[in-house]
Amino acid sequence: MNDIVLIGDGPLAKETSDLFNERGWTVWPLDQLDQPLSSSCAVVDTVTGPVEEKKRLLRRAAELVPIDAPIWTNTLHVTATQVASWMPHSERVGGFSPLMIQQMPLVEVCRPLQAEDEDVWDKALQLWRHVGKQVEVVGDEPGLVFPRTWAMLVNEAAFALTEGVAKAAAIDLAMKKGTRIPMGPLEWADTIGVDQVVWILSGLVRELGEDRYRPAPLLRKMVYAGYTGRAAGRGFYRYNADGKRQSSEISKVSM
Amino acid sequence: MTVEPIVRTAVVGAGTMGNGIAEVLATAGKRVVLVDVSSSALERGMQAIRDRLRRRVQKQRMTAEEMKQALNRIESSGDLSAVAEAQLVIEAVVERLDVKKSLFAQLDEIADLEAILATNTSSLSVTAIASATKHPERVIGLHFFNPAPVMPLVEVVHGPLSEREVVDQAMAFVKEIGKDPVKVTDTPGFLVNRVARSFHSEAFRLVGDHVAEKQQVDRILRAAGFPMGPFELQDLIGIDINYAASCSVYEGYFHDPRFRPHPHQRQLVESGALGKKTGRGHYRYE
Repeated sequence: MNDIVLIGDGPLAKETSDLFNERGWTVWPLDQLDQPLSSSCAVVDTVTGPVEEKKRLLRRAAELVPIDAPIWTNTLHVTATQVASWMPHSERVGGFSPLMIQQMPLVEVCRPLQAEDEDVWDKALQLWRHVGKQVEVVGDEPGLVFPRTWAMLVNEAAFALTEGVAKAAAIDLAMKKGTRIPMGPLEWADTIGVDQVVWILSGLVRELGEDRYRPAPLLRKMVYAGYTGRAAGRGFYRYNADGKRQSSEISKVSM
Repeated sequence: MTVEPIVRTAVVGAGTMGNGIAEVLATAGKRVVLVDVSSSALERGMQAIRDRLRRRVQKQRMTAEEMKQALNRIESSGDLSAVAEAQLVIEAVVERLDVKKSLFAQLDEIADLEAILATNTSSLSVTAIASATKHPERVIGLHFFNPAPVMPLVEVVHGPLSEREVVDQAMAFVKEIGKDPVKVTDTPGFLVNRVARSFHSEAFRLVGDHVAEKQQVDRILRAAGFPMGPFELQDLIGIDINYAASCSVYEGYFHDPRFRPHPHQRQLVESGALGKKTGRGHYRYE
C-alpha cells in the first residue's frame, strides 16, 4: 500500500495526513481525486460531524478504491458497526481515533461486528503497523478510550466553569498541579477542538443513552459561537494568528 | 482582620496530612504548633517529620543546619489552647463533620479573634464547618494534597460567608510557603477531586462494559500524556480513599448520574483489595 484517500479537513485531517506523508505515503484528499485509484490503497476518514455528510463522503471514496481496500473511519462520535452498515463490502471497515495520532506511539482501533473475517481484519491492521503504530484494539463504542476519557474531563471542567467553581486558568492550573496531567482540560480542549468534545459526548449520549454524557451547555454554545479552540483563534482562551495564547482576559467563557 | 504577615501558625491533627502540612510550614520559615490530643499520635507525627527531613538531608536537598532550624520552629502540644497565639490555624483531623464542627466551635473560642481558621477537608462542606463558629467570615478551606510536602497545589476554598480579605490573605500565604494556590468556591469535591472523578469513573465504565482491559486503559492514557493510567493511580491513592471521594461527590450533588460510582469500585473495597498498601488492588504488588 502506498496511497491514502483522505476524507475530511481541519486539524484532525491535517494531523492524519502529516502522519502518512512523513512516512512516505501519497495522500489524496478526496475532493482532489477525480479518478479511481487502481494501486493498493486505503481510505482514511477523519470526519466528525453530521452522519449524513460522513456517509456521503465515505460512499464516494469507496467508489474510487478497489473493493478490498481497507476503510478506516474516525469513530469519535459513531460506532464502526454503524459506518460499516453504510458501505459496500462492510467487512473491510475499521474504526480509529485520529486524536493526537502523531504524538501517540499507538493508535486505538475498534472492530465492527461485520469485520468477522480474520484475514481481512489482519490485513486492514497492517496499515497502522506500516506507519509504526502499536495497535490497541478496543470495543466499538463512540470515543474509544482516550477521546472518551478526555471528553469527560473537559465536560466536567466546563460544568465547573459554568458553576463558577473557579476561573478557566485556575481550573487548568489546579488540574496540572493537582494531578500532574501535562495540559489543563480546557487548554487541551482548545488544542484538539471544543467541537470534537461535543461530537464525542453527543455520540455517547446517542449510543448509550445516559445522562452522564450530556455535554455541558457552555460547550454547545461555544461551538455555536465558533469558539472551537486554537485553530479558530478563540476557545476558552484567545490566540493570535500564530496560535500563541494571548494574555488571559475576563470574558463570559473564562469566568 | 490580620494585616501583618503570618508567621505564627498552628496545625491541629498530627496524622499524615497534619504532619505533612506542619513540615511545609516549618521549612518555609513559619513557626508551627502541632496539636493532637493523642500523645502517641503526636509523637508519631513528629517522628514522621524528623524522618522525612533527615532523608532530605541525606539526599542533599537540605543542609543539616536547615533541618535543625526547621525542627526548631515546630513545637508539639497535647493541648488545644496552644493555638491561642497563632495567626493561622489549619485543622487536619478525621474527615467527620461532627468532629470538625465541634473542633471549630472550640477554635473559635480559643484562637485569636484576628486569626484565620482553615480546614484541610477534602470532602466536607467548608460552609457547614464554618457554621459551627460565631465568626464564619474568618473560616476558609486550605485543601493540601497528599503528600503535602510534595504536592504543589493548595485549593483555597471560600464559602459564601468567607470574607474576601481573608481569602486574599490566604492566597498570598500559600504562595509565600512555596505552593500554588487556586481560588475555588465551596462545592462538593471542590475542583480537582470533582473534575478528576470523570477520569476514574469513566475508566471503571470502559472496563465494566468490556470496551477495554485495565492494562489497556492505563497504556492508552499514558500514551496520551497522562503521567499514570487511572488504575495505576487508584492503586497508589488507595482504592478505598478514591471510592470515598467518589461517594462524597455523588452524595454532594444529590446523585447526579455524572458522578455515580461504579459497582466494581465498591466490590474492590469490599474485597480488601485497596491498592499498593494491601499488596493488591487492580494489580498485584510484591
